[in-house]
Amino acid sequence: MENLSWLFWGYAAAWAVIFVYLFRLSQKERALRRKISELQEAMEDRWKQKKA
Amino acid sequence: MGGMVKELDDKPALPLWLGGAAALAMMVHLYLVFMWVPTESTMGIVQRLFYFHVPAATVAFVACFVGGISAILYLVKRDPKYDDLSLAANETLVVFEIINIGLGMMWARPIWGIWWTWDAKLTSAFLLLFLYVAYLVIRPAAPVEQRATVCAVVCILGMADVPMVYMSNRLFRTQHPSPVIRSGGLAPEMMTTLFFGMATMLLLWLCVLSIRRRIARLDRAAEDLTRRANELDDLRRD
Repeated sequence: MENLSWLFWGYAAAWAVIFVYLFRLSQKERALRRKISELQEAMEDRWKQKKA
Repeated sequence: MGGMVKELDDKPALPLWLGGAAALAMMVHLYLVFMWVPTESTMGIVQRLFYFHVPAATVAFVACFVGGISAILYLVKRDPKYDDLSLAANETLVVFEIINIGLGMMWARPIWGIWWTWDAKLTSAFLLLFLYVAYLVIRPAAPVEQRATVCAVVCILGMADVPMVYMSNRLFRTQHPSPVIRSGGLAPEMMTTLFFGMATMLLLWLCVLSIRRRIARLDRAAEDLTRRANELDDLRRD
């Protein structure tokens, strides 16, 4: 069982990289969706103002 | 543009079957690595890092080719969906190449007694990572109109490094171990675990790729909406 800690930390680090990346992607998607809905609302307001 | 956003809302980023298959394969892979495969006699238990290290490298190569071919298709067809796919593939390449190099270093420390050496294999792998990190840094800095074209050229150049990484320990004498798959240097159980690991990693990569590609499309939708809002403002001012 020599070097078991290298094996453990190796796999733990690899999975951590994947999970941190997926977490970052989910945050980015949430921020983009918020931005898109704000932009859509702003566009609708401008069209209404233009028509008025 | 509203249609594009609606289309993105209707489709799930990750098909359920793909996510389920990847999760199941990951559990089976962990079982094979930690419970089933025999321990290698000279290196001991740390050799089991190999079953994640090699699949991560394989996925990085596949991502590189997917990114490169998408970049060529973008240059030919000028369809932004190919640029989105290329960006997604290249960013995931960086993630899997970091895992590949990191696990290689964690194997090297107890076996070689050093973390790193500048031999042909390790240097070309580092160069591949460096090129694609540069791609990700250049991309937001490039002018919007030329961004996809500039990035496509960089990523085609990056693709040329893959054969160099693959062939380096065949052409040069390296500290990195020689290829073992074709030389029959692996026991059948080790071979099974390795190939299962490659299939698992490809499934995981497909999941991450589809999520990243959807974000690239959302990013494009947000940019187009911003541009149209600015155009509308200009019209109102006139």
